[in-house]
Amino acid sequence: MRAIYLIARREFLSYVATWGFWLSLASVPLFMALGFGLPILIESSQPTRYYVMIDETGGRLDAAYRASVEESRQRQAAEMREAVSEMVGDNPQITAALDQQMATTMLDDGRYVRLDPPATDVDGLKPYLLGERLLDTAEGEMPLFAAIYLRADAEGGIEIEYWSTNLTDGGLRSEIRGALRDYMRAERLLAAGVSGDMLEAADSLRPVVRELNPERAGADAAVTASDRLPVIVAIGVAFALWIIIFSVVNMLLTAMIEEKGNKVLEMMMSSARHHEILTGKLFGVAAVSFTLLAFWGLLAFGGGTLAQQAAASANMPIGDLIGAIFNPGLLVPALGYFIIGYFMYGAVFLAVGSLCDTLQDAQTLMSPIMLVMMVPLFLVMVAADSPDSPIVTFASWVPVWTPFIMLARLPQDPSMMELVGTTGLMLGTAIVVIWGAGVMFRMGALNQANQETIKNWFRFGKKQNA
Amino acid sequence: MSDTILRLDRVSKQFKGQYAVKDVSLEVERGQITGFLGPNGAGKTTSLRMSLGILTPDKGKVELFGKTPGASTLDRVGFLPEERGIYRRMKVIDVIIFFGRLKGVEAGEARRRGLKMLDEFDLLHAAEQKVKTLSKGMAQKVQIITTLIHQPEFVILDEPFSGLDPVNQKALERIVRAQAEAGRTILFSTHVMEHAERLCDKIVLIAKGNKIFDGTVAEALGEVPRRVHLETTSEQNLLELLAPFGEVRRDDDARDGSHCSTIDLGSGSDAQDVLKACVDADVKLTRFEPVRAHLHDAFVHLVESHGHGEEETA
Repeated sequence: MRAIYLIARREFLSYVATWGFWLSLASVPLFMALGFGLPILIESSQPTRYYVMIDETGGRLDAAYRASVEESRQRQAAEMREAVSEMVGDNPQITAALDQQMATTMLDDGRYVRLDPPATDVDGLKPYLLGERLLDTAEGEMPLFAAIYLRADAEGGIEIEYWSTNLTDGGLRSEIRGALRDYMRAERLLAAGVSGDMLEAADSLRPVVRELNPERAGADAAVTASDRLPVIVAIGVAFALWIIIFSVVNMLLTAMIEEKGNKVLEMMMSSARHHEILTGKLFGVAAVSFTLLAFWGLLAFGGGTLAQQAAASANMPIGDLIGAIFNPGLLVPALGYFIIGYFMYGAVFLAVGSLCDTLQDAQTLMSPIMLVMMVPLFLVMVAADSPDSPIVTFASWVPVWTPFIMLARLPQDPSMMELVGTTGLMLGTAIVVIWGAGVMFRMGALNQANQETIKNWFRFGKKQNA
Repeated sequence: MSDTILRLDRVSKQFKGQYAVKDVSLEVERGQITGFLGPNGAGKTTSLRMSLGILTPDKGKVELFGKTPGASTLDRVGFLPEERGIYRRMKVIDVIIFFGRLKGVEAGEARRRGLKMLDEFDLLHAAEQKVKTLSKGMAQKVQIITTLIHQPEFVILDEPFSGLDPVNQKALERIVRAQAEAGRTILFSTHVMEHAERLCDKIVLIAKGNKIFDGTVAEALGEVPRRVHLETTSEQNLLELLAPFGEVRRDDDARDGSHCSTIDLGSGSDAQDVLKACVDADVKLTRFEPVRAHLHDAFVHLVESHGHGEEETA
C-alpha cells in the first residue's frame, strides 16, 4: 500500500505541478464560454447593411413587405417562446425578455437598415452601390449595400430587382422574396374568393399538442420539461464521462511512454511490484481527474448559483437542472461507470505505453483502440432518441461501451436484467482486462514485449497463409 | 541469521523457447563483493531480475535473505539496473527522497541522508536542480544514491560501469569499496574483467545461460596455465628441451630473426625450472618473460574449455 500511495502521489504531483494541467483546467470553462459566446460575438460583429427600396407600385408592395416581415417576426418570436418553454418551462419573465429582444430587432433595427433613397433611378444609385459616394447614417457615412426595385406586371406577378455588389450576403434578398411570395399567395386566394378573415384564420391554425405519460395518472400524466431533463442530463454526463476518461487515460499513455523512454521502469520494479506500479499510476491519474472534476463542478455550481440569482432567470429551472445532475440515481452509477471505465481503459493504455518507446510506436496500436472508443459517442446519441433500438441494446452488452451507453439509457429505465447483466459483464471484463494489462505491462516494462509482439499476434493468420 | 544473502538453486528461465538461464546455482555470502561475470547476453540480467523477484524462474528456487523475494526483502536490497533512468523533470533531492520513501525511509530522514550523500558525491550544489540538467556521470551518481539511500544490506549493481568514462569508473570503484567496507554485501554484474579483478572477493562466470565457474579470483586465475614467453638466437629444439615443464609451442619469429616460443607451464613446474633448463642447455635467451595471468585470460580459457567460445568480452 505504501508503494501504491507513493507512486500515486508522485503521479498526481507530477501533473498538478505543470502548466499543462492548469491550462487544461481552465480550458474547459474557457471553451464552454467560447462555445456560448462565439455565435453571439459573430452575430454582433456582423456589419450593419444599409439598403434602399423603391416601390414602383406606389407603396402597395412596400406595405405588403413590411406587414409580412412584421408577421414573420411575430411568428419567429412565438416559435422561440415555444422552444424555450419546451426546454425550461413556462416563465413570464423569460417571455418578456424574449419579446423585448424581438422588438429591438425589428426591420430597421437589425442587420439590415433601410434608408431613404438618395435617387430613384439605378444610374443615380450606382455611385452609392459602388462605394464612390456614401450615405449619411447613424454610424456616420456608409456605402449602400443594396438597392431593391419592386415592380408588378400586368398578370399580377411581382418582379424584384436586386442591385448589390455583395454576392454572398443573401439574407435581405431571401427575406424580401419570402415576404412577397406570401403576399402573392394571399392575393391569389383573395382573388379566388377566399375572405380575408378566412385567410387569417387559416394561417393562425395550430394543433394543440398534449404530451402524456401512460405510466402516470390524472394531472400528473402531463409530460413537462422537468421530465425530459434527466434524459438530457444523462446524455451530457455520458459525453462528459467519455471526454474525461479519454483525456486522463491519454495522460497515462504519454506518461508511461516517457517513463519507458527514460528507463525509469526497471528502477521502479526493483522498489515495487508491477501491480503496485500499475495501480499507483492509475490512482494518481484518477486523483488528477477528480481534481479536474471537482474544479469544474465547483465552477458549474457557482455559475448555476449566479445564474439563479440573476433577475432574468429567477424562475428558470436551475434547481431542477442541479437536481437532475446531482440525482443519486444518476450520480452514483456515473461514478461507478467512471471508475470501472477509467480503470479498464487506463490499464489498457498503460500496457500499450509500456510496450512502446515513442508516441509514434503507440499510434500504431492506438488507432484500432481509438476506433472502438469512438463508437459509444455515436450510440449515445441514438440511445437518446431510441433507447429500445436493437443496436443500442446490443451495444450495451459490449463491456467497453457499457459505461457510456448504459449511463445514457439510465433515465429511460432499462430492465433490471440489463442493468445487472451488463454491469456484471463489464466488471468481469474489467478484471480480466486489468489482469491482462498487468501481465503485458510487466513484459513491456522489462522489454520482453513490444508493439511488434502485439502486431505479430494479428499477423499470425497471414503468416500461416504465406 | 544465515550468512547466505542470496541463493539461486538450479534456476532456469526461458524466453520464446530459448534458455536465457539454465540450471544456474549461486550463493552470495554476507560481507563479500561478488562479481557476476559474463559476456553480453550471457543471462546475467535475467539472473539478477530473478534474484529480486522481478522475474519468476521457470524452474529452481530463489531465496533472498532466506525467503522468496518479496516486498519485505526488497526493502533490504538496493538495485541499480542496467537500464538506468530517473525522473528527468524532478529535482535531484526529490528523486532521492521518492526512492528512499519507496524503500521505507521517512521523508525527513531521506532528505537528510540524501543531502549528506550528495555532499559526499560532490553533488550538493545540484540538489535543487532538475535531473534533466545533469550530465550523464552526475545522473549516474544520483542514481547510485537512490540505490543506497535506504542503507541496504545487499547492493546489486547490474553493469554499473557501462557508459561511464574512466574517471567516473574509478570513482564508482571507490564507492563500491566504501560500501563493502561499511559492511554491505555487494553483487555486481559486468563483462569488463578488470573491474571484477580489482574489486571482487568471489566471482561467478556465466556464458550462454550456464554457470561455468564459481570461486575466488585466485581460484579463477589458477584455472589458467601460467605462461612464459621466450626468444632465443640459438638453434636448440625448445619443443623437446622444455616439454617436461609443460606445453610448448613455436610462435612466429621476431623481426630481428629471434625464435619465439611460449610455454604453458604444467602443474608442479614454474618459470624458474624453465630458466634453469635453458641455462643448463646453453640456450641464448634474448627474452624470458613469465606472464601473470589476468581474469580476462581465465574467463576466455574457462569459456573455451566449456565449449562456449567466440564470446564477447572487453
